[in-house]
Amino acid sequence: MAVSTPTQQDLSRYELLLQEAAQIRGVSLWMDAWRRLRKNWAAMISLWFLVALVITAFFTPFLPLQSPQFQLADKEHKYQPPNLERIELNFQLEDAKQLEREAAELAARLRRLPADAPEKERADLRLDLAAKRRDHPFNRLWNEPGMLTSAMIRARVAIFGRWCIPSICGRDELGRDVLARVFWGARVSLIVGALAALVSLVIGVSYGASAGYLGGWVDAAMMRFVDVLYSIPFIFVVIFLITFLSEETTRNRLAAWGIDQIAIFYIVIGAIYWLTMARVVRGQIISLKHEQFVDAARTGGAGSGRIIFRHLIPNVMGIVIVYLTLTIPSVMLFEAFLSYLGLGVKPPDVSWGLLMNEGIKVITPVAIFWWLVLFPGLALAMTLFALNFLGDGLRDALDPKMTNR
Amino acid sequence: MKGLLAPLIILAKRAAWTLLTLWLVYTISFALMWSVPGGPFKSEKKIPEAIKRNIEAKFHFNDPVWKQYLDYMWDICHFDFRASFKLEDFTVNEVISQGFPVSASLGIFALLFALLFGTTAGVISASRRNSVIDVAFMGLATIGIAIPNFVLAGISIIVVVFWLHLLPASGWGTIQQILLPALCLSAPFAAYIARLTRAGMLEVLNLDYIRTAYAKGLLPRNVVIRHALRGALLPVVSYLGPATAGILTGSLVVERLFNIPGSGSHFIEAALGQDYTLEMGMVLVYTLLLSVMNTLVDFSYAVIDPRVKLE
Amino acid sequence: MPFLRKAFPYLAIALGLASLAWAVSFGTLPKADFTFDNGNEIRTADPSKATGQPENRVINALFEGLLRSLPDEGWERKYGPGENVPMTPQGAMAESFDVSEDGRVYTFHMRKGAQWSNGDPVTAVDFAWSWRRMLHPETASEYAYQLYYLVGAEGYNTAVVQEGGLVEVELDGTRRDKLQAFPRGTIVRGKVLTITKPPEPPELAKDSKANAEAKSKAEATWKESWVYEVEVASVEPSAEDPDPKQISTGGKIVCCIDPAKAKSVDAGSLVKILHILPDFEETVGVKAESPEKLVVTLKSRTAYFDELVAFYPLYPVNRKCVEEHGSPNWTKPENLVCNGPYTMQFRRIRDRIRLVKNPKYWDEQQVQLQVIDAMAVKSETTTLNMYLNDQIDWATQLPPPMIPKLKQIMPKEFPSAPMLTVYLYRVNVTKPGLDNAKVRRALNLAIDKKNICEIITRAGEVPATSVVPPGLAGYTPPPGTQYDPKLASKLLEEAGFPSGRGLPPIEIVYNELDAHRTIAERIQQMWRENLGIGVQLRGVEWGTYLDLQNKLDYHVARAGWIADYPDPNTFLDMWTSSSQQNQTGWKNKDFDALIEKAGTEPDRKKRMELLRDAEAILIEESPILPIYWYVSKNLVKPHVKGWFLNSQDTHPLTLLRVDHENSPIGSAGP
Repeated sequence: MAVSTPTQQDLSRYELLLQEAAQIRGVSLWMDAWRRLRKNWAAMISLWFLVALVITAFFTPFLPLQSPQFQLADKEHKYQPPNLERIELNFQLEDAKQLEREAAELAARLRRLPADAPEKERADLRLDLAAKRRDHPFNRLWNEPGMLTSAMIRARVAIFGRWCIPSICGRDELGRDVLARVFWGARVSLIVGALAALVSLVIGVSYGASAGYLGGWVDAAMMRFVDVLYSIPFIFVVIFLITFLSEETTRNRLAAWGIDQIAIFYIVIGAIYWLTMARVVRGQIISLKHEQFVDAARTGGAGSGRIIFRHLIPNVMGIVIVYLTLTIPSVMLFEAFLSYLGLGVKPPDVSWGLLMNEGIKVITPVAIFWWLVLFPGLALAMTLFALNFLGDGLRDALDPKMTNR
Repeated sequence: MKGLLAPLIILAKRAAWTLLTLWLVYTISFALMWSVPGGPFKSEKKIPEAIKRNIEAKFHFNDPVWKQYLDYMWDICHFDFRASFKLEDFTVNEVISQGFPVSASLGIFALLFALLFGTTAGVISASRRNSVIDVAFMGLATIGIAIPNFVLAGISIIVVVFWLHLLPASGWGTIQQILLPALCLSAPFAAYIARLTRAGMLEVLNLDYIRTAYAKGLLPRNVVIRHALRGALLPVVSYLGPATAGILTGSLVVERLFNIPGSGSHFIEAALGQDYTLEMGMVLVYTLLLSVMNTLVDFSYAVIDPRVKLE
Repeated sequence: MPFLRKAFPYLAIALGLASLAWAVSFGTLPKADFTFDNGNEIRTADPSKATGQPENRVINALFEGLLRSLPDEGWERKYGPGENVPMTPQGAMAESFDVSEDGRVYTFHMRKGAQWSNGDPVTAVDFAWSWRRMLHPETASEYAYQLYYLVGAEGYNTAVVQEGGLVEVELDGTRRDKLQAFPRGTIVRGKVLTITKPPEPPELAKDSKANAEAKSKAEATWKESWVYEVEVASVEPSAEDPDPKQISTGGKIVCCIDPAKAKSVDAGSLVKILHILPDFEETVGVKAESPEKLVVTLKSRTAYFDELVAFYPLYPVNRKCVEEHGSPNWTKPENLVCNGPYTMQFRRIRDRIRLVKNPKYWDEQQVQLQVIDAMAVKSETTTLNMYLNDQIDWATQLPPPMIPKLKQIMPKEFPSAPMLTVYLYRVNVTKPGLDNAKVRRALNLAIDKKNICEIITRAGEVPATSVVPPGLAGYTPPPGTQYDPKLASKLLEEAGFPSGRGLPPIEIVYNELDAHRTIAERIQQMWRENLGIGVQLRGVEWGTYLDLQNKLDYHVARAGWIADYPDPNTFLDMWTSSSQQNQTGWKNKDFDALIEKAGTEPDRKKRMELLRDAEAILIEESPILPIYWYVSKNLVKPHVKGWFLNSQDTHPLTLLRVDHENSPIGSAGP
């Protein structure tokens, strides 16, 4: 049979088809899911709550809060219950400015110093500069903030001056403002939760996808390994690992590589939460890998790596996101648990877990300083609520079979 | 004959994997222990070198590492976990055998509570979908999941012990002393089981065989309990494995808070106090326990659900 | 399978019920007469090895020394409820004792009729043997230095052997159990003729750069290769090997601990030994002249030696029991033989130790309580809960934030008085910056101790101006220091760190307990504000905490020191250069000289002056920053009688009674 050459008619029909296709607004899986999610009011409220939370946590230094570290340690303010007492930041704006001017001058002198200047002079100037910087009220009140935080604090002082929100959530044992500590704690807790979940995502997805795609004995071996890891009581290993890693020499060695306590923390936690993710992703990949688009990609000359990471993984992102929203809560609870054991973040850093642990210690039959546990507890519970609802909503939205029931 | 042989082979395979896991855990723990700067035996006091030598010889720390690794493994194979570093009057075996029954008893209570309250709440919620009870139960369940158990336990001690005067504050020995810690321990699992049961029930209640049962004129209560629940409980059974693991973990906190002399508190103290031999013993025992529980759960899953095959 | 499937629900229910039944089967314990919280789980009940307060309470119930600390007759009438009752060492296992003119020789006359719980008499020999065991290097007793006041004790404990010295040699391979130092193997006693030492390892050379740990390791290895030629005076056969071969009395042995390393001599001809120690009977100042008479010879006059004898490390242990069961098995309740007012009925780890009255105790009639539970409670909040819930009668640890409240709502159950205990910060003087005394003084002056006492501890603690707590009769402390941030920053400037410029950041190490972290956080802010110094905090677990101080691996570390005996010396002699408790790296010759002189000074007044001068140096140099002096904090139920305050916060269980009738019904508590 001779190969038929396309006639004019065929071509015009083809044109027509293309036109029609262009007119149809394709509804992608994501659009569809989003539409469904919008109808779920609980999930939507949760979503907006979480977005608001992340934004406020990020802009915490900008908010007119008191310093989370400053101790108002006198009899009146120790365990002061929620109140509206007027309070101002504990420094004079002029002093800060003066210090800044001096520091700027020193920095300028340091820069102007000729290259052949004696090393001693240079070192002296550096020391002076460091002392000035350390004396700066921002560094004293906010425990040596980073560049971005510093800038935000500056903006906060410029706009609100020394005015602060009164201690509407009360004060703790050393007269520190609970509201400020909850807000600053949010930063640590959320970062720990999100980053640990992210680590678990990276490991879990690539591991699961590779196993699922490669199949055969590789898959069997990789999954067996996961099974083996599943039966290790990881909590015990983690406690072991954290006690080991916080040992001074190890800590210093890691610090030399720029890994601090908190970093260790989310790496370790992330490293144990990837197992479920790997299993789920593998299952999805196996069902996807015989689809035509994979064959098409392979015919196009794509290698395994490219197929896995460019073609398959984007297709399982839905389920991955669902799992992510469910992993973050467990990570945050785990952080609280470790704080309870005294293995969590170290002061002067604060996290919700640490705050709650401090709070629960003063809930005793003779006196109940309820504000110390209620506010951090509420913050954590609401976040976990929201994450749970959002996770459920997303699952329903991404898995039409479930909602249509 | 063949029907009996297959599970046995699977069991043997499982046992082999468990052994492999144990070996892996042993190796990891050993490596961690021995890489602690200063070695596992850090003296707490400046003791003369001659005395230190004696202690090191006692714990075999002067042997080459590979020999220590093998010797220690050999001892463990004989169920000899050696002496505790920090509880000088006891061997690790004694500590474990004292603490384990306590934790097991607490765990059993917690698991039973979780199943009892979880499934009941789930069934009621599902059969009264979107009613006030449903919302209330599911709200409670979410709270159970969202509050760290040390906070829950701390608050429940105040409420139950000191405001209501119902139960003793802590300790171990009587039934009253078990109830509160077991309840606190079971809370998140009860909550999760409730949600699982509810979801499972809702799914099952829409299936044809339930409709048939209703159509046959069976009492709704009977339909729910005899027919629907059976199907709905499948996810719950598969959750029992992780739940056991979770209860083991949770017991660390609860035992500490309620001053219960179980292996959970021994483990925490061992980890925080760098009692390496005890820690090693505990990790291995818990690994074994978890493996056994997982196997048991898988088997029971295969028993209840004909669709599931063991591999 | 189908059958199994059908039966499964029933099987599951049956399994559930069975496990429930098993879980319930843990029987209820009969209630004890008296229950108290004993803090942490004790590490050991072996008096020679234990350290710490919880151990102190348990060991004092189980064992008794030559003397025991008790208040004088009629104390209940003489002292009010808020007053410290003085305690003095009184006759216990020894009925009485004489001291020689020069204060160096103590003769203890043993009590007739004093028995072990197995019925054997307690004799002077028991003490001599127990002290030998405590000093034996293999026992590794932490409190061994409590015996260093005895002639030759330190040499025996650290195995210092010299040519011409009398020695006891334990032959290798003759022990019944390799891991047990007692019963010992075959012992050869004699005189060292020569010691052949191989060349010194390079680490020990004067210009060596090896660190202290490597040095001491190299030294120990080197010593193991020494070859001793010993002229044998007598051979004591061991129980298992009654006929030691090859060695005859009067002959010679050439021996070495590690023959493989002794290169100079032919290894084959060497006798391998386990220990070579100074001859205990000949060199150490303790001798049982007869079963009724124990003679102790001290290096120099020690005014407080009777107090030491009444302190638990010097309590006796039963030789038969230790040798039969070995360590640690002999401390098991079923094996333990003791001589104190109580015996151990059972011990549940991290739960309780149940003590029952010892009918064989010599003063058994005085002991009122039949059964006592010493509870191991980790958390202070739990302790408080248990106390308020009537589960314990005496609480020894309380959550710091609740103390003012407790004092307020139940003042009658909260007896409190100053204690002989100081809360202080050690400063590691080997760290750059901190090696300057001015910096250390500045750190001291910049702490507002009054604020810490009023805001954090709040139980009536006294801000410490000097080291030795007040309340020691005859001692006038040197002028102390007061909070003075201006002077502090001036000192810092003089030291070359104006406003903290150039001073490396300081890390405060503390153990995670009590209010240690809160205090550290407070001091962090004080130093930062008053001196401009960057301060970091590091909370660690107890073991790590001790270890860091040991290895001088810290900048500033918290510490507390409870008087071992009521004398200023207990707070001062720990800072001498050779003290193991020093742990600051601080060494001062004048200070050492003053302490040593005070130790031998017979005149009490002069002695106190010498000690005061020593303390003045300590304050001037500030290797430690005293923060406050403790007060005792206990909750005691009103039905407990015979409980009294004292400056060391020790409470003899033998004096306690429980009287439910004559106490206000329904104790306070919400």
